[in-house]
Amino acid sequence: MISTARQPTSALGQAGATEAPPLEIHDLTVSYHKKPVLWGIDLVVPAGKLVGIVGPNGAGKSTLIKAVMGLLPLNSGWVKIYGKSFQKNLKRVGYVPQRESVDWDFPVNVMDVVLMGRYGHLGLIKRPSKRDREIARECLDKVKMLPYSDRQISNLSGGQQQRVFLARALAQESDVYFMDEPFSGVDAATESAIITLLHELRAKGKTILVVHHDLPTARNYFDMLLLLNMRVVAFGPTEEVFTYELLQKTYGGRLTILSEVAEAVRQKV
Amino acid sequence: MSELIPPFHWHTFLFSPWNDPLIATSNFWIVLMGFMVATACGLVGNYLIVRRMALVGDAISHSVLPGIAIAFLVSQTRGSTAMFIGALIAGIVTTIIIEVIHKKTRVKQDAAIGIAFTSLFAIGVILISLFAAQIDLDQECVLYGEIGYIGPEALAGEHTRIFGIPLGPITVARMILVTIATCVLIALFYKELLVSSFDPGLASSLGINATMVHYGLMSWLSVVVVSSFESVGAILVIGMLILPGATAALLTARFPRILLLTVLNAALSSLGGVHLATWLNCSPAGAMVVMASLLFSAAWIFSPHDGLIRRWYYMRGAGTSEPSEATVELTSK
Amino acid sequence: MFFMLSKRTFIYLLTALGYFLFFAGNVEAARIGDISEMSIGEQTARFFSFQDPAVRYAVIGSILLGITCGLLGSFIVVRKMALVGDTLSHAVLPGVALGFMWNMTKNPIAIFIGATIAGLIGTAVVNLIKQTTRLKEDTALGMVLAGFFAVGICMITMIQQLPTGNVSGIDKFLFGQAAAIGKDDLILMATVTVLTLLIVGIFYKEFLVSSFDAGFARVAGFPVQVLHYTLMLLLAFAVVISLQAVGVVLVSAMLITPAAAAYLLTDRMHKMIWLAAGFGMLAGLVGAFFSFLGPSLPTGPFMVLGASAVFATAFFFGPKHGVTTRWWQQRSRAKRMNRENTLKSIYHVLEDRAFKGESVSLEELKIRRAESFEEAHQRARELAAHDLATFDAKKSQIYLTPDGWQRACEIVRNHRLWELYLTNAVQFAADHVHEDAEKIEHVLGDEVVREIEKRLNYATKDPHGRDIPGLRDVEKGKRMDGAPAETIGYGRRT
Repeated sequence: MISTARQPTSALGQAGATEAPPLEIHDLTVSYHKKPVLWGIDLVVPAGKLVGIVGPNGAGKSTLIKAVMGLLPLNSGWVKIYGKSFQKNLKRVGYVPQRESVDWDFPVNVMDVVLMGRYGHLGLIKRPSKRDREIARECLDKVKMLPYSDRQISNLSGGQQQRVFLARALAQESDVYFMDEPFSGVDAATESAIITLLHELRAKGKTILVVHHDLPTARNYFDMLLLLNMRVVAFGPTEEVFTYELLQKTYGGRLTILSEVAEAVRQKV
Repeated sequence: MSELIPPFHWHTFLFSPWNDPLIATSNFWIVLMGFMVATACGLVGNYLIVRRMALVGDAISHSVLPGIAIAFLVSQTRGSTAMFIGALIAGIVTTIIIEVIHKKTRVKQDAAIGIAFTSLFAIGVILISLFAAQIDLDQECVLYGEIGYIGPEALAGEHTRIFGIPLGPITVARMILVTIATCVLIALFYKELLVSSFDPGLASSLGINATMVHYGLMSWLSVVVVSSFESVGAILVIGMLILPGATAALLTARFPRILLLTVLNAALSSLGGVHLATWLNCSPAGAMVVMASLLFSAAWIFSPHDGLIRRWYYMRGAGTSEPSEATVELTSK
Repeated sequence: MFFMLSKRTFIYLLTALGYFLFFAGNVEAARIGDISEMSIGEQTARFFSFQDPAVRYAVIGSILLGITCGLLGSFIVVRKMALVGDTLSHAVLPGVALGFMWNMTKNPIAIFIGATIAGLIGTAVVNLIKQTTRLKEDTALGMVLAGFFAVGICMITMIQQLPTGNVSGIDKFLFGQAAAIGKDDLILMATVTVLTLLIVGIFYKEFLVSSFDAGFARVAGFPVQVLHYTLMLLLAFAVVISLQAVGVVLVSAMLITPAAAAYLLTDRMHKMIWLAAGFGMLAGLVGAFFSFLGPSLPTGPFMVLGASAVFATAFFFGPKHGVTTRWWQQRSRAKRMNRENTLKSIYHVLEDRAFKGESVSLEELKIRRAESFEEAHQRARELAAHDLATFDAKKSQIYLTPDGWQRACEIVRNHRLWELYLTNAVQFAADHVHEDAEKIEHVLGDEVVREIEKRLNYATKDPHGRDIPGLRDVEKGKRMDGAPAETIGYGRRT
């Protein structure tokens, strides 16, 4: 079960038979200021799954996503998206960064931001076409933000800003999505809207990796969980991985979190 | 090109500023003035660096100009009191403008600093060129000062005496007092300054008024800037504010040691600057800042903590050089 | 007027202006700075006749640099790199001096190359310091600014010692003199402006996305680093062409201030860019004009003040973010709430006597509001001034107009609906809801009110058991018996 992470990647060579997995990581090490943050990560994520990445603060959850997308230099190892390097498969990857990573006073409106999701398909120089606007409008509608499309982005609530980011990712029309804490600081309505949306995407065969910080909800939201603390503690179907022992291994001796875990595990039994 | 840079001889470089007794006396006062300016600026600058306000210092060193110009116009003299008051007001006005712009609008602090000081500096320059007859400053002096004039003044015997001790020309005497006052103030308010710079939240829970400390620091910065102004000019003050402190910060992480190293750096920069200026026959104030930059470069390269050489050595030794961004591409073959 | 300025009109305007300035008049005259006996009026007339080629060069040059700086400045401001611009503009000085030493004349190309290289080295050193030490960005910027500038100052003073150095006008680079702009400079400036317009025009989308969200842009496959360095290169170009007119010390203001002013006026990047270019042009013109008026007036400071004036106007009177505008809006909102509170009190008075009688006396209002007679009178006058009520002949009774009555019903209705909503849906205690409703009643929009109605099943009683006035109550006054034709219930027309 847990050994999914260590599965040999033999299927890779046989092109044509089955497509390579959406995400494959081998021996990934990343360090900040001479201190390793991720160490020897091996991971193969199967297609069509909703994967939660959980772990304590500083476990390297966001770092993992950034490293996969080439936003951070790697000390060792490699990453493949559908069997190719990330740079060769850009269009198949959608990204939802943390909300705090941008300046919300930036002079753009909601529509402009969602249109940015189309930029990758346009390539250099070309301007967004009518069709791109149409797609952007559909994506806004899916997150119920269409009425706000002319709003300047600072005039939105935190949840609305997050939905704009989601709409932008949808507009990318990718096959695998990386989302960095999409649930942080959003209202309950947005949280359930996001979850519905993620399920819809999964139903279409997309693969979604979500950095998540809330353990109790993690169990209900995701098909598979990646327990991360500098190394991969466990990776597998939620019901197999969400055990007291593994979570304790992930979170170490942090008492408050552990009691939450204990509560969550008890509910499950 | 070659006519511009005179040939370099160690002997001339080291001794020519001190050969002739007259020139030596003149240079002594220049070095003393430079040392005082660099010490006062450097000590205050240390707090600007830890507060991440280095460029606020830049802003204030520009924007005291209209204050000085107006003080000249109103008092019609080169008196110190009017100038101090003018500069103090200008400094506080700058601080307030920056705060108001970035608190009341979505314009960020960096742009607010840029807008505030350029406007005030522009007003100052215009006042100087409009009332050139009444204001005893010229545009070049505003930029790189007239530290060279201190020598002749001192030789002419225009000494200001306090308790019978000759303290040199009025500008030097004033600067000595300001520098001593700076040291005394830092000694008195050492813990308030440190705590409010490090953690404003903790400071207010300890009953230290962080806003007061902020405005106090800015006011004192204006005083230091205005008394340095005539000798090193508005813009080179920023060099003296930041370079000694930044150099010290590369060499040690402990704040008291940083303060001591700043003073040492000030002495080396002013002495070295005079030698450099004598050799190249250029502006002594400029040469002092160039000297301070050279000292910084040396610290940057040779520092035992995170100097470039040590870094390079470490990377080679550890074998984990930081890979380029293309690593993903390269390693996924 | 600038808000209306579309891209196309902007370009037409520019072409026409350029054409006019290049070809209008051929009378040769002395250079700008030389004349000092002329009065301000004569100088003004001379300036605007554009007869003087030096004036034309100065004006075109100032306009070109204003456009370039405004355009690039927009990106600088939104990327929070304003102080990078400041550092870059100081760091070019040694390059200027080096370019000057090339053959000891003011050769625009040599100076351009030298200054650009120096500026780029300066920004590279800032990056290197940031990456390899614990020093923060502001410290690194300040050090490079001061260090490079000092080297430049030393070189300039060395040049001035030379027999050929002093007459050359290198000192004009510190504060700028538009009159020193020659034909070669102008060609260079035009080239840079066109280049900037082209690159920003072609790669607008790329610059936009990488400025807003660099991480996302990289994942979407855009060369963020290349775009960044392109921007820095253009920025260095802009600084260098501006040196002649604005001077090293104040160039950063031309980058920051017009763009910051535009930032206060619009919420869209492309509009901001055009506005900033327009403002930069305006500031350039102002600077060229004022420095023309006196013999030794530098251009740069006047340009900067022109830009600052634009910023101050936007800061105080901008339609959306202006400080005065917002203050005025708050004030009128406060006054409106005050009027609505008066209306509500009048409604309460009428309600207490079961809506008998059409008018409310000032005395009743005074008692109801627990205020002085003067205050009640003032309130009534406020209502009368906004056509919400009228006085009787003796000025002691107030009658609500139809508008006034309707607004009074609405406000009481909002208040009671909200109270009910809080007690029912949010389950507040009935004695805790009044305060909240006092504030909310003034801001509830029609949509929200309808939503609340629906959720409350169109209730008609508030938590204190009083009627919630509905549509029929607004109509109620109209059915008052025996009213003369021109009187409509509480709303008495006079």
